[in-house]
Amino acid sequence: MLSKSQARAFFLGGTFLFGAIFVFLTIDTLRQNDTRTNAQNLTEDVLKGKEIWEKNNCMGCHTLLGEGAYYAPDLTKVVERRGVSWIDVFLDDPQAMFPGERKMVKYNFTKEEKGQVIAFLDWVGKIDANGWPPKPNIPVGSITTAVPPQTTSSVVKVSQPEKFSQLCVACHAVGGKGGNVGPALDHVGSKFDVDYLNRWLIDPQVIKPGTNMPKLPLSDTERKDIVTYLSALK
Amino acid sequence: MRFQSQKVAYWFFATCMLLLSLQIVYGFIMGFARIGFDGLHDYIPFNTARATHTNLLVVWLLTGFMGAAYYIIPEESDRELYSVKLAYIQLISWIVVGVVAIIGFHFNWWEGRKFLEIPRPLDYLVVVNVLTFLFNIAMTIWEAKKRSTTQLVLFFGLLCAALLYLPGMIYFDNQTLDSYFRWWVVHLWVEGVWELIMGGILAFLLIKLTGVDREVIEKWLYVVVGLTFLSGILGTGHHYYWIGTPKYWLMVGGIFSALEPLAFLGMAIWALNMYRKKGKDHPNKIALYWTLGSAMMSFIGAGFLGFAHTWPSVNQWTHGTLITAMHGHLAFWGAYAMLVLAVISYAMPNMTGRKLFTGMSGYLAFWASNIGMVGMTGALAVAGITQVYLERKLGMDFLVVQKEIVFHFIGMLLAATLFTIGITYFIVDFIRHGLPSNEAVGKNVGDID
Repeated sequence: MLSKSQARAFFLGGTFLFGAIFVFLTIDTLRQNDTRTNAQNLTEDVLKGKEIWEKNNCMGCHTLLGEGAYYAPDLTKVVERRGVSWIDVFLDDPQAMFPGERKMVKYNFTKEEKGQVIAFLDWVGKIDANGWPPKPNIPVGSITTAVPPQTTSSVVKVSQPEKFSQLCVACHAVGGKGGNVGPALDHVGSKFDVDYLNRWLIDPQVIKPGTNMPKLPLSDTERKDIVTYLSALK
Repeated sequence: MRFQSQKVAYWFFATCMLLLSLQIVYGFIMGFARIGFDGLHDYIPFNTARATHTNLLVVWLLTGFMGAAYYIIPEESDRELYSVKLAYIQLISWIVVGVVAIIGFHFNWWEGRKFLEIPRPLDYLVVVNVLTFLFNIAMTIWEAKKRSTTQLVLFFGLLCAALLYLPGMIYFDNQTLDSYFRWWVVHLWVEGVWELIMGGILAFLLIKLTGVDREVIEKWLYVVVGLTFLSGILGTGHHYYWIGTPKYWLMVGGIFSALEPLAFLGMAIWALNMYRKKGKDHPNKIALYWTLGSAMMSFIGAGFLGFAHTWPSVNQWTHGTLITAMHGHLAFWGAYAMLVLAVISYAMPNMTGRKLFTGMSGYLAFWASNIGMVGMTGALAVAGITQVYLERKLGMDFLVVQKEIVFHFIGMLLAATLFTIGITYFIVDFIRHGLPSNEAVGKNVGDID
């Protein structure tokens, strides 16, 4: 049977050996780090963004690279997923974008600060994270009735404007794709005319006081494109 | 208690009880926020509650370890503590730092790095404080005539815990490196040197409660902590799968994480075997319950549930979901919270001379809190598995999935209520013991040694 001194040797030897391997692997990790994380793209904005990220303890709700709390979505690929303009609008008043949903603190970031946070998140999204997060691997089609057939078959003649896919889909679904905070917009064109849709987008509160729909920052052309698109959804 | 100076441990334990109660309050705030009752959002938003909840955990456990050390080291060294005054100064400054940090969290003052949220200026005070503590313990051991393995393992664990706090204080521009070295603190603490501390405390309690020969217990202590370091050091790799570090961490982390349960299994088998070999019964059954309970629950929570999601092909789906929270709850409870409660249950009758362990309330505290914690873990497990399938495997929206699992959080809150009832019994017992008394000096209640 093992003696006490052998047991001690096992403890000290094991600790030393595996400690040494750990240090060796750390050195190699540091060596590869600049390439894997695109350290050349660590601009002033990215670093400022990281400071803002930490100063407000964003990890206290969100996760980044899967690390943090689990109360709010992972933001590793958020720039790729939502796009810059959506995040920009969202940060102004998070609760307006998801009315009645889980709350996020309104931080009152300046335009510049928002840009820095986005730059940081954009940089993080491009880190080589060994393929994480993985793509969903159970096809939704294999689970029936997730999408009612009539919505998928509706023919849309006008292509989706860029702004629509950046902002509106966060809350509204078209053809089964998009959020479910607001109503699906599949047949919105047959419900409302062009004039109504236009006035609605200018200021929802005027049309329907107390609505959860936020007033979105759209230029005249952008609004016109969206109205044209919505009118075609019949 | 053998020595007058061991009385200082009481005040550390009392602080533990206070911080644990606060931790539970913040847990409830988070639980209610998750089922849609976020009324405190404007004053205590989720990130504040979360930082407070986890930091209180770390602080109350460390306070418990310090109290345990102040109780155990004089007895193992067979002499009074080096300086009682220093111990009190250290406790008071420790509380001040803790309180300032917690209040700071409510005013957006923190470092924003998970588990290491304490702001940088306070970090320095923590270092000074811990060095004072270590100095006091080291001088006690240094001037003692007696050396024991338990004493040295405990000291070595506390020393490494202090040293490993330092990598967490370096600032990195690069998120990947930031994360890499943050785990040097968090993982190497929890799955490394804290286990050393746990082993040391467990050895002490087993010696006192079972009366098995010290040489036998201490030999196995070496084996257990040896297994811990053998698996735990490279096991850090399971935090390095997806944060931007090289691919070989998938293999290294996977293999060594799979070995990590061995250390906890060793701990459980060791404790149970020592109990089986006991010469006669120690009257303080409740302390024995907590001691053996800790050894077993740490195997289930830290060992088995950790094993359940650290394999890379599983972890790629479970990483960053409620599965981690599920494992975290039972792991910390079993390994460290129960152990601190074991030391307190053992030390209180010795310090006060009151044998409250004969009543029912101790058992109620044990069973209610344990069943409550297992219930919470179960609720989080179901919520976590659902989340993984709906959000990760099917690709559903985060918030949509969160609504699907609200029900399980109601279950979690119910289990948490049972847990709180158990802890309340424990705290009431603690208060009923009263203050340490001079009459209790020089004699331990029913020790087998």
